[in-house]
Formats: sequence, structure tokens, C-alpha cells
Amino acid sequence: MSGPRRAAPGGRARVLLGLLLALLMLLPFVVNPYLLSVLTLILYLAYVGQAWNVMMGFAGQLSLGHSLYVGLGAYVSAALFVHYGVPPALGFLAAILVALVFGAAIGFLAFRFGVSGVYFALLTIAFAEFTRIGFDHFDWVGGSGGFFLKVAQRDYNDLVNLRGSPEMFYYLLLAMTAGCFLLCHRLMQSRIGFYWLAIREDQEAAQAVGIDVFRYKMLAVMLSAALASLAGVFTAFFNNNLFPFQIFGIEKSIEIILGPIIGGLGTLFGPILGAFVLTVLAEGLRGTMEALGVVLPGVKQVFYGICLLFVIMFLPHGIWPSLRRRLGLDSDGRR
Amino acid sequence: MTSTSNKSARRLPGVTRRTFTGSAIAAAAVAGVAPFNIVRGQAAALKVGVILPKSGPQAFFGQSCQRGIDIAPALLAEMGYNVKLDVTSVDFETNVDLARSRAEKLVNDGAHVLIGPFDSGAAGAIAQVAEQKGVPFMINIAAAPQITEQGYKYVFRNFPTAPMLIGNGLSLMKEFFKATGATPKTAVFMHVNDTFGQASARGVEALFPRLEMPFKILETISYDPAARDLSVEVAKAKASGAEMVMLVSRLNDSILLVREMVKQRFEPMGIISPGSPGMYEEQFFTTLGKFSEYCVTNVPWYNPKSEIAQKVAGAFRKQFPNDRLIGHIFNVGFSFESMMIVADAYQRAKSTNGQALAEALRATKIDKRVMIGGAIQFNEKGQATTIASAALQNRNLEPKVVLPAEAQELKPVFPVPGWNNRG
Repeated sequence: MSGPRRAAPGGRARVLLGLLLALLMLLPFVVNPYLLSVLTLILYLAYVGQAWNVMMGFAGQLSLGHSLYVGLGAYVSAALFVHYGVPPALGFLAAILVALVFGAAIGFLAFRFGVSGVYFALLTIAFAEFTRIGFDHFDWVGGSGGFFLKVAQRDYNDLVNLRGSPEMFYYLLLAMTAGCFLLCHRLMQSRIGFYWLAIREDQEAAQAVGIDVFRYKMLAVMLSAALASLAGVFTAFFNNNLFPFQIFGIEKSIEIILGPIIGGLGTLFGPILGAFVLTVLAEGLRGTMEALGVVLPGVKQVFYGICLLFVIMFLPHGIWPSLRRRLGLDSDGRR
Repeated sequence: MTSTSNKSARRLPGVTRRTFTGSAIAAAAVAGVAPFNIVRGQAAALKVGVILPKSGPQAFFGQSCQRGIDIAPALLAEMGYNVKLDVTSVDFETNVDLARSRAEKLVNDGAHVLIGPFDSGAAGAIAQVAEQKGVPFMINIAAAPQITEQGYKYVFRNFPTAPMLIGNGLSLMKEFFKATGATPKTAVFMHVNDTFGQASARGVEALFPRLEMPFKILETISYDPAARDLSVEVAKAKASGAEMVMLVSRLNDSILLVREMVKQRFEPMGIISPGSPGMYEEQFFTTLGKFSEYCVTNVPWYNPKSEIAQKVAGAFRKQFPNDRLIGHIFNVGFSFESMMIVADAYQRAKSTNGQALAEALRATKIDKRVMIGGAIQFNEKGQATTIASAALQNRNLEPKVVLPAEAQELKPVFPVPGWNNRG
């Protein structure tokens, strides 16, 4: 009896995910350009939130400087494109490599010398900050004056050079988000995922049962960094301009972590749900205020604060775990 | 053709030859009066979408710009612009990703023209949307030169680029020395080492030899914007023996610096900024009192002698009686001018069509303006080229225009009196 009962929620989850993916694929045909830009924003936050979730949600390593990897990915791919004509379809490999090096450096410094908890979080902020300051003075990529990519109006979508319509960028991001989701799902079903959970729950106990804690924490940091750098590649070619204070700023790092925290830390669907809830509520709130003729700048930030308070007080594990129970999808407790 | 039409008409239920003929006449009548739709279109309101950072780190500046937008419709009507402006303002929260989304929303809601955004990154993002949708975009404030170097057809900027700002500021220094008859031979260059300060320092470094400045920089001293104590930096500057301090600052550090100079009795011929905030701001005067006097800043500024500027000042005081104009005039001036340029283009284009508006904007020539400079005009890239800087000297606890001569409120004083001989 227990076998079929356990399989049913998984099957239902797959059906729901399939429906969601189909819906997301069809949406660009029916929504207007504004809604498409909002959907792109949701997918971006979902993707980058998922990347952060690997490190914090799965392996329990709090990073408050994840904008570092996004920024590095953005600058490396953009610089290769502008200075050497390397298309982002190849440039993303270099972006990943550089993010891996930085991730490895942070991980090595922290884990080899026993820096953990809030001190590890401070280390991640420090790296993001000094990289920002470094890029402020890095004239090769425009320094503080900004780095601009040449914008070309084309009649066709060029996926190799990431030049094309907003629809192309939407589908690219959808593919990235779906890919990241599947990768995380596979990882969580694998030995690596179980090791990460063990480390997250009790590092000493994990070490005591023979898990190479240093190795698996390094793996989480580096994988998370690599995934985040891809979001940077997207940002660079979508916005076509980069400023160190905007891309490496602490605000960006906070923006990255809000989705997974609200949605459900350490869950697969939490970052996606969190990004959706936060963006839709913020846009809805703004639209309602506009319709009522109320002009109150900053109301969204206040609203974010209230949301966080609400989640911390009433849904400490985020929205998704409780929603998952209501939907009857609670098969293994980690989806 | 006729038989086919008749067959089609016969096939449709409820469509007789009479109703078909009636419909055809009605269609012809509609087609006949179609040209009048153009006339009606001219009377329609121009939907202006304004995108500003009204929350987040740049909230003050965004809200300050908004004041310039708010006073525009009534004042433009009073000035004789016979156009209806329907303004919708949105906040992009100092977030580039949102700037793009907000622009999409405004265009989707029917905006005929976009104005904003007090930020180069956001301007870059909005410009792409504007270009894609064929909606003219008038940049009020954003200095990155690359924005108008992209070959855009719908992007216009009524603000100097960063190199233009520094170039104007340095050139004005030469005029300032000429006007006062006193030229320092040496200077110490002190600058804050944040994003803005570094960019300015690079600009100074690049332009200084090219502009053949009459003084030599003996030493360059950079300092942290969050510094609590600048005693070492000021001591170094004093020890350099420089006759003048050239300063690129923010507000807090400029206050600290002057205090320290007073304390260390460092009395150069003057403190001159080639273009940075700080020394002309309200807090500088209230905190330093008489020691704020005679500091000089070269920035784009409103022309207090211009008739339009006086009208803008009057409208501002009436609509925002609790705000001091001097703290907002930079943002208000450029934002109001953006509205004026757009209204002027619409009046000439007589259409809300994006291409017609863009062509009218390209042909802009407005002689009477708020800010100091020549007639408002755009080059082939959409960049305004005639915006000048003013030399502001702090006098009687207010920044006063001392140069150029056509906007002069007071005569420049240089070398400045010693710290104890002020006020």
C-alpha cells in the first residue's frame, strides 16, 4: 500500500510541472510586451534564486554576496564580446570559469580556516564589495562610468550573439530556469544532495559518518557560483549596460535571496514560487495604487518588509512547504 | 469582381443588396472623412510617460525631478504652448531591471513619449524599449556618453555627457581666473574615491593637458567618502604648498574638509570644484555658516536672468512652498526643459506618431530656456550640445552665479578672504 501512495504525489507533481511549463511556453503568445517583461523578471529572479538555493537551501552556507557571481558572469561575457568579438554562446564558458575561481577562493578561505555562519556571510559580502570597488577602477570595462554593449536592431533572433526580441530572451530564461530546476532535482536525488542535507542539518555529525565536508561544501559553492554567473551573462546581453554599483551592489544580493526565503528555503519549487509571489504582488500593488490615484514611492519596499515579517512569523519554512501539503504533493518533503 | 461580391453578399445571412449598398456608402463616407481624423488627432492629448527613481538610493533626486515635471503642464500652457499633456509618472525604484519593465508598461498603456530617468543604466535599458517600439525617449539627466553613441533614432538627451561636464567645468576655471585677474600657479587636487569621484578624476586627468590649464597639479589626494576625519589629507594638501584646492566631493566630506582647513589654518587662494555636488547644497551652508562662503562650484545651473527660469522658480515656489528652490533647481530645471522640448515638438509635429515626434524633436530649436547655455538643439545622435556650466560662488549663504557674464548675479571674488575675514 505504501508504494503506490508514495508514487502518487510524485506523479501529480510531474503533471502539474508539465502543465506549468506548457503554460509558461504559451504565455508569450497571449500577453502584452509589459506582461512579458514582468514574466522575464520573474524567471530571472526564480533562476538566480535557485542558484543561491543550492548553496544556502541545500548545503546551508549563507551567502549575502551572490551578486558577485552574477556581476562576474556579466562582465566577463560582455568584455569578451565587446573587445574580442567572442559570442556569449562561447563566452558563458569563460564566465563560468571565472565565477568558479572566485567561488573556489571564497570556499577555500572559509572552509579551510573554519569560517562559518555569519562570518562566512560577511566574507561573501566582502568579496562582492571589493570586486565592485575593483571594477569601479577597471577602465578596460568602463570603470565606474559603465560598460556598454553595442545595441543592434535586428529582424531575426540571434541566439549565438544573444541579439533579438524580448521573446527570445524570455524563452532562453525559461530554458535556463527549467534546466536549473532539473539539475537541482537530480542533485537532490543523488548522493551529493543527501550529503548536502546532512551537512546543512549537522556538520559535525556529517563529518563523523565520513562525509568529506570540505569537498561537498566547496562543490555547493562552486556550483552555485557557476549557475549564478549564467544569470549574469543573460543580464549583460538583455540590458546591454553594466555598472559596478548596480550589478555588484548589496541590494542585488538581497533581491536574489528574497524569492527563495519567501518561497521556501531548501525546496526545489520555493525560489520559483517566491519570485512569482513577490513580483506579482509588487506589480499588483503598484497597479492598484495607480488605479486609486495614490502616489507613495517606496510602498513596495514596505510591502516586502511586511511580507518577510509575515513569512517569518506564520510560515517559517516559506510558502511552498505549506502549499505543497495542501496540494497533496508531500511525497519526500523536499520538492 | 462584382459577381463575386454579390455571391458573397448572397451567402451571408441577413445581408441583402440594400444593406450591402448601405454599408458600402457608410464605408465610403467614413473613408471620405478619414483625413479629418488627423485633425482630431492633433487636438488629442500627448501621453507622456515619466520614469524616475522615486524610491531606493536615488529617491531624493527622482522626487526632485518629479517636481519639475509637476509644474510643467500648467506653466507650459501659460507660456503659450497650445498642447494637452497627459502625464503618467512611474517609479523604477533605482533598479535597472524595473526601469525596462516600467517603460514597457508605459508604452503598453499608450505613452507617446518617454521622459526620465536620472540614471545612465536605466536610461540605457529604457532606450532599448523606446527604440524597439518607435517611441521617442527624452533623457532629462544621465551623463554616460555611450547612450547617444548607439545609433538610436528615438533617443534624445538634454543633458551634457560626463566628458562635457568636466570639460565645461575646467574651461570655466580659466574664465574665472581671467575675470578676477588672479591665476594660481599650482593646485592640489582632492577627490572622493567613490564611483563619481573616480570618474571625475579620470576626466580631469584626461582633459587637463588638452585644455592647457594655467596651473600645475602638485599632488592628487583621494579619500574615502565615509571618512570621519580628513586631518591627514588636509595636512598633506597644506604641506604641498599649493595655491589652490581643486575639489571633487560629496556633501559630508566637503563639510569635513572645510572644517579641517579652518582648524589647520590652511588658507589657499580658493576652493574650486570642476563639477561635483557638496559645496552648493543647503546642508553645507547651514553646517558651516560663514566658512561656507566663497567656495566655487562649476555645474550646469539655471539662468537666474532668464525669463523662463524666473517663471519656473515662481511656479515651483507656488506649488512647493515648503521646499527651497536652490536645493532642487538642477533637477527641476532639466526635467522641466524635457517637458518643454516634448511639448514644443508635439506642437510642431501635430501628431502623436512616434516617427513624426522624433523628427520634430530632431529639428528642435528653442532659444529661451531655463538652464544656462545656447538654444536647445540636438545633433544627429540626439545629443544636446549647447548646455554650459555656471561658476557658482557661495555668497551670503547661497550659491550665486558669478559666470558666465550673461547670467551673472554677483562679481566673482578671487583670491578669497581668509577664514576669519568672512561673514
